Amino acid sequence: MSTGVLTERYVHEVVRRLPPDQRDDIARELRATIADTIEGRGADDRQAAEREVLGELGDPVRYAARYTDRPLALIGPDLYPAYIRVLGTLVATVLPALTLGFVLLEVADGGGLGAALRVGAGTVIGVGAQLVAAITLVFAVTERVRHHRGTTGTDRWTPDELPDVQRPDRGGVTALAAVAWDVLLFALIVWQHTAEPYWADGAAAGEGAYLEVLNPDLWSGWIWPVLAGLAGLAAVGVARVAGRGWTVRLAGWYALAHAVFTLPLAWVLYRQELFNPDFLADAKTLWESQESVYAGAAVIVLAMGVSSVVKAFRTARG
Amino acid sequence: MPHSTVWVVSVEELTLSQAQELRRGTVVLACLALLRKPQYGYALLETLNDAGVTVDGNTLYPLLRRLEKQGLLTSEWNTEESRPRKFYRVSPDGSRVRTGLVREWQDLVASISRLTKEDE
Repeated sequence: MSTGVLTERYVHEVVRRLPPDQRDDIARELRATIADTIEGRGADDRQAAEREVLGELGDPVRYAARYTDRPLALIGPDLYPAYIRVLGTLVATVLPALTLGFVLLEVADGGGLGAALRVGAGTVIGVGAQLVAAITLVFAVTERVRHHRGTTGTDRWTPDELPDVQRPDRGGVTALAAVAWDVLLFALIVWQHTAEPYWADGAAAGEGAYLEVLNPDLWSGWIWPVLAGLAGLAAVGVARVAGRGWTVRLAGWYALAHAVFTLPLAWVLYRQELFNPDFLADAKTLWESQESVYAGAAVIVLAMGVSSVVKAFRTARG
Repeated sequence: MPHSTVWVVSVEELTLSQAQELRRGTVVLACLALLRKPQYGYALLETLNDAGVTVDGNTLYPLLRRLEKQGLLTSEWNTEESRPRKFYRVSPDGSRVRTGLVREWQDLVASISRLTKEDE
């Protein structure tokens, strides 16, 4: 008697996944074992019995893995918790930071609001996918190297790795909304400068023309601290959300950023230099008196700034 | 009672899978006990199943190799018969491990019978 073609194919599928020095020995034993088992069935139809026996031995990949203790999972239970932890941390920190960075770069390049949003979405999807793929690859390779060296389970978990209990973050959503508002305002200021979105019919400019809403002269002066202050406010806001609350030091930075943003803005409003005069001339119908609007706006901006800073400090203390 | 049964898996199935967990470690002990006399894979499987230690070939054959690699079993090819077969037997180390496992087993039996006395 001899083992059938199916058995040969099965044995081949198993041993080619084994270390070369064990292949012949295991193949020889496996053939004998399969033949023994088929004979043990005492069936008339040998081929049917062979199919049955091989079916019971199961998938050759799985069977071979049982010889070598090779992991059948991409990332095994030993590494899985660390994998999830690293993945979560990087996706929560690096991805938003990179996205924000690319969006601001696009805005600084004069890409406009739509382009900035496209860049942002593209970064989240593209960089996110690459980040996840790269981390998964590193862990999968580590899993295999560890198994190869037999060093599984050596680094024990200790209680030092316990994360702090997360305090319920009251006001976290509000803080996030504030960051979004700062970023949006930053983008709007840059956008109205580069895109010149306002169409003036020609009352002031003689002929119809596209205008900036804000005073173009600001770009050789006061707009820069305003933008820097906004960027600072956004950064502090992100730190506030990440830290799940205000600290006194963070509130200090917040006060500084707010001062850098609010004081020049209030000064510009006070001097009635915020808006493009051409724009105002064209849009005069909207305002009966420029002066009262400007004075009111300056007071409101200052009051808003002071109240936010006071609130931040109060929360940090309490 | 609707609260005592899980609606997805029946009690019988749960018992079966838990029993499988319980038996898992006993195959090694049974092998170390049986292989005081040299035996080849298929014959060992039959003996184990006849003795009530149910195990599948795809579990047993790789297990024998792993035990050999750990030095608990030794093996030898017997080519005297028409079909050459690999015979396994317990090594001196394997005997010592068996003694330890038997003691462990008896302790477990004693502990569990104490714990489950009230049920009887």
